[in-house]
Parts: sequence; structure tokens; C-alpha cells
Amino acid sequence: MKNPVHSRRLKLTTFSAIALLALTSCGGENSASAEDGEDASYGDINIALSWVENAEFAGEFFAQENGYYEEAGFETVEFIPGPGPIENMVASGEATFGTSNAVATGEVIAEEDAPLKIVGAKYQRNPFTILSLADEGNIASPSDLEGKTIGVQAGGNEALFEALLEVNDIDPESVEMVPVEYDPAPLLDGEVDGFFAYVINESITVELMGHEVTDLMLSENGLPFVAEALITSEQMIEEDPELIKSFLEAELQGWQDAVSDPEEAARLAVEEYGAHLDLEMDKELRQAEIQVDLVVTDEVRENGLLTISEDLQAESVDSLERAGVDVTAEELFDLSLLEELLEEKPELAEIPDGV
Amino acid sequence: MVEGSRVMSAAPVVQASRGVRAGSLTRTALSTLGNTAIMLAVILVLWVGLLEVFDVSDFVGKGPLDVYEHLFLEEDAAAIRAEMWGLAAVTLRDAAIGFTAGMIAAVVIAVGIVMSRVVESAVMPLAMIVRSVPLVALAPLIILALGRGTAVVAAMGGIVVLFPALVTIVFGLRSVTPQIRDVVTVYGGSTWDILRKVAAPSALPAFFSAVRISVPGAFTGALLAQWLATGEGIGYAVVSAVSRSQNTRVWALVVVITLISLVLYMLAQLVENLVLQHYDMAKDA
Repeated sequence: MKNPVHSRRLKLTTFSAIALLALTSCGGENSASAEDGEDASYGDINIALSWVENAEFAGEFFAQENGYYEEAGFETVEFIPGPGPIENMVASGEATFGTSNAVATGEVIAEEDAPLKIVGAKYQRNPFTILSLADEGNIASPSDLEGKTIGVQAGGNEALFEALLEVNDIDPESVEMVPVEYDPAPLLDGEVDGFFAYVINESITVELMGHEVTDLMLSENGLPFVAEALITSEQMIEEDPELIKSFLEAELQGWQDAVSDPEEAARLAVEEYGAHLDLEMDKELRQAEIQVDLVVTDEVRENGLLTISEDLQAESVDSLERAGVDVTAEELFDLSLLEELLEEKPELAEIPDGV
Repeated sequence: MVEGSRVMSAAPVVQASRGVRAGSLTRTALSTLGNTAIMLAVILVLWVGLLEVFDVSDFVGKGPLDVYEHLFLEEDAAAIRAEMWGLAAVTLRDAAIGFTAGMIAAVVIAVGIVMSRVVESAVMPLAMIVRSVPLVALAPLIILALGRGTAVVAAMGGIVVLFPALVTIVFGLRSVTPQIRDVVTVYGGSTWDILRKVAAPSALPAFFSAVRISVPGAFTGALLAQWLATGEGIGYAVVSAVSRSQNTRVWALVVVITLISLVLYMLAQLVENLVLQHYDMAKDA
């Protein structure tokens, strides 16, 4: 990361080395070892994160830190910080996996025929919110949006905001949407009345600055869907299902650690993976604690981390439909690999004690 | 460099090219059309060729046929086209605002600079600074100061247009030869008279060069203002479509804005040629 030229050269070298190995071994041994899944080598992969390296990706940090990715057969796992066009990156093969949400991915599948699938989801409930200051905009219900100026970041969030208006029968003409970046300064400056945010991120930041905040949660206002969903390409699912299963295994182990130790999760974000970002320990700790409730629900306790129950899939698809996006659960989700993995290794489905 | 040499050669052309005749109007129009066709061909070749050379994934890199299909063959193509025209109209309006603001400022400042060294030493460094700081970095400041309305569009478009136009126009105004300057002075004319009677007419070629090179600049400014401040028009639609992975739409939007910019550039060139010819003929008569 610090030396892109060097790391690119390294990548190239590794790539040629792997290519050479693959050629000389004619693939025979590789596929044999891939079948038993343990000592297979998948080389280098990367994950396009939906956001910068903060506590939101605690599970990934643990998986890296505790060597779960390595044990699963990955030589290196590179985190590509967001925000960015995750769906594009994964569909074009630039990233092996991505974290996105059901609505953003569903839209791209429906509109662009993107060959993508959600193979698991960290947040069972999405943390999107319209954040406002209690003594200023105080947007507590969808109808409060009318006549207000709302800062929305271009891209997926814009799609979600449009969907929120749509499902609540609010005339888009009655709300002024202005482009903002991800810094909530325009909200604090009074330039906007509401700000599209993560309830576990910007809301905490603004609150810690001493403001009383009001959150209009999307999940409570007609748009429940899974977020921080792991997406990959259909080509990947077809050609290398074992790689995906191994990746999910490492993710599950990472998230088992993350939900049982929010303090270490916050430390990893602040001191290790997000060290260059100057993150606030208080905020990250609070985020790491609160997000446990988004990750571990009653259904998850029963089925395992990252799983998405059929009800939840239907709920996400309904939200999409209400937002005018036509996509079926089969087109959007493929949880067969996760289910296979959890059948083979039921211990991965366990939620750590005390969570 | 190219612009500079054009400007330099333009002034002598005004005096020397007495051979230009009325029949050349058609020739000018035809050569402009020819240039447009060549440019379009180059763009198409580059477009297809670069996608091929860099082996861009089909999902992200759309070709001319994909865009054509998106705009003309799909079920909702008519609605898409209507929407694109709406966006294009807003971008055209914003480009016009920035263009006007920038050109007016350029002319006023250029006159000031030619009339007074003080103005030059006061304004040029500022213009240089504004020019060398990327507009993207200046944007938050401009937005804080001017809000997100027409003022910010005028400011951002104006900044992009101002500098090259200013330099070109100043060069044109200064192209008056000392001898002619002396003639006016000897007959009791003031600096103002020199500017009005001699410098302004001889700066016409430079002025129209400035107009022509400012057309694409005005679009750059408008697109930036739309992306960063107003959230309207093609400038915002492209950014939004990129991050929503609406790839065909991205390409279609880029094609639309490129074509509009190209056509206007060619129009400006045509007008430039015609005006200069007219100017020559007027001198002949």
C-alpha cells in the first residue's frame, strides 16, 4: 500500500511465479489438493471494501491478523479501501470479492445484467440512516424530509435515498438533494438539514462531538435489507467454488473473533489497518460494540454468521421491488456454498460464548 | 504552443491576406465539416482501439455499438434520449454561464492590463495562482463562499475559461506595432484611443481564438461545478452513474457531452474564420 510500484512489481512477480507453477504442474496436483480444501493455494486475492479500513471490517482484520486467510490457502489478501464502484470492480475481475449491500448490488444486477451474486452478509440489518441534528433538522419520520435539504453521496447511497423517497411516497421534487462527500461537515455547518450516513459511523462521530442526533433509519422506514454483503462474480462461483468456500471459512473465523472482542476489533482498526486514517478510538470501539447487534441476530444464532435466511432474502428483494428494481432472490443471492461449508464444518456456525 | 503560433500568425494574416474572396465561405464551411469528420473518426478509432489494447472487461468498457443500442434500440431508448437531452440542456446552460463570466472577465482584465502595468502586476499572479491550484481543491472554498447556485457555476466555469482567454486576448491587444501606436500618439490620441482604434480591431483574431479555445474549457468548468456543487446535469449524472456501475449510461453520457462540445468548438472555429474573412473584406472595401 505504501509503495504501490513495489507492490505491483511484487504482484507481477508472484503472478508469473504462480503462472509458471501452474504451467509446469499442468494443474493435476493443484486440483487434487484443492479438493481436500486444506493445503490448497489460491495465491493472491483482494477485497473491495465498501468503506475505509475502520471497525466495520473487524472480521476481515482478525482473519488477516490471526492468519485465517493464510490457513485457508491465500497467500495475500489485499484490502482495497472504499468507497468506490464495488460492483464494477468485482464484475470486471479487478477485485475478487467486494462488500456491498443488497439494494446497490440488486440494482446493478437488474439494470446492467452484472454477473454477480451475494454469497453471504455480515450486517443482517442495514445501518443506513438520514442523520440530522436534533435541534436543527430533526428528521424523525419520512414526512419530515419534505422541504429539507439532504446531503447524499453520489452512487449507491443516492439509489438508496431515491428508494427511501419512493417507498414512503414522498415527491422527490419536495426534497432538495445535494451532492456531498462522506465528511458530515455540511451537516454541522448547517449547509444541509440531513445527511446520508451509517448509524454506526457518522452518527457516532457527530454524537461524540457533543451534538444530539436524530436518525431516520432506512431499515425501519420501508427498506430493510442486508448490508456489508460479500459479493463475487458468477464466473468465480462456477470456476472456483472451493476458493469461495475457503474465503468464507476465513471470514467466519474472523467474524467469530470480531463479535466476541470489540475492543481488539477497535484496536486493530485504529492502530493497525486504519493507522493512516487517524481514527478515534472512542468512536471505533462504540462502532465495534454496536455492530455486533447488526451481525448477530436470532436467526444468525440459529444458522451461523454471514447466513441470510430465506425471509431476509425475501425482505431484501421486497425492498428492491418497492424501490422499483425488479430482481429475484435467485438472481441476487447464492448461499449454497456457505451452506455447504457450514454442513461440512458445523463448528464454523457457532457463535462464541457470551455474545 | 499551437494556439500561440496561431495567434502570432493571425495578426499578419489580417493585413496580408487580401486574396480571400466571398466564394471561400462555402470552402470554410466545408473544411470545418471535414475537420469534424476527421475528429470523429479519430475518436472512434481511439475508443475501440484503446478498449482492445488494454483488454478492458466487456462489463465496464462499452463500445460505440453498445452506446448506439442504449440510445436508439432499447425499449426505453426514447425516454433515455429525452433524459439525456434534459441533462445536456442543463450542462449547456451552465457552460454558457461559465463561458460568459470567464470571457467578460478576461476582456475587462485584458483591457486593464494593457492600459496599466499596475493592473498587470496585481492581477497576473492571482490569475496564475487560481489557474495552478486544481479546481477540485478550490471547490470546497468556492462552495462555502458562494453556495451551490448559479454563482458557483459562474465562478468555476469562469476560472477555467479566464486564464487562457486572458493570455490570448492580452497578446492580441499588444500586437499593435510601435509605429502605429506612434501615429495615433502624434495625432494627439490617448492610450484609450490606441486601444479603441487600433488595438481592439487587431486583437479580433486573438479574441476569436480565445472564444474557440474557451468552449471546451467552459464545459470542463460546468461539469466540475455540477459534479462538486450543484448535483445537476451531465457532470453529476456521469459521476453518479459510475459509482452505480451503470456503465452503458456512463459511456452514453460521455458521448453526448463530447459531441456537443465538439460541435460547438467547430461552430466557434467557423465563426472565427468567417468573421476574420469579413474583417478582411471590410478592409478591402
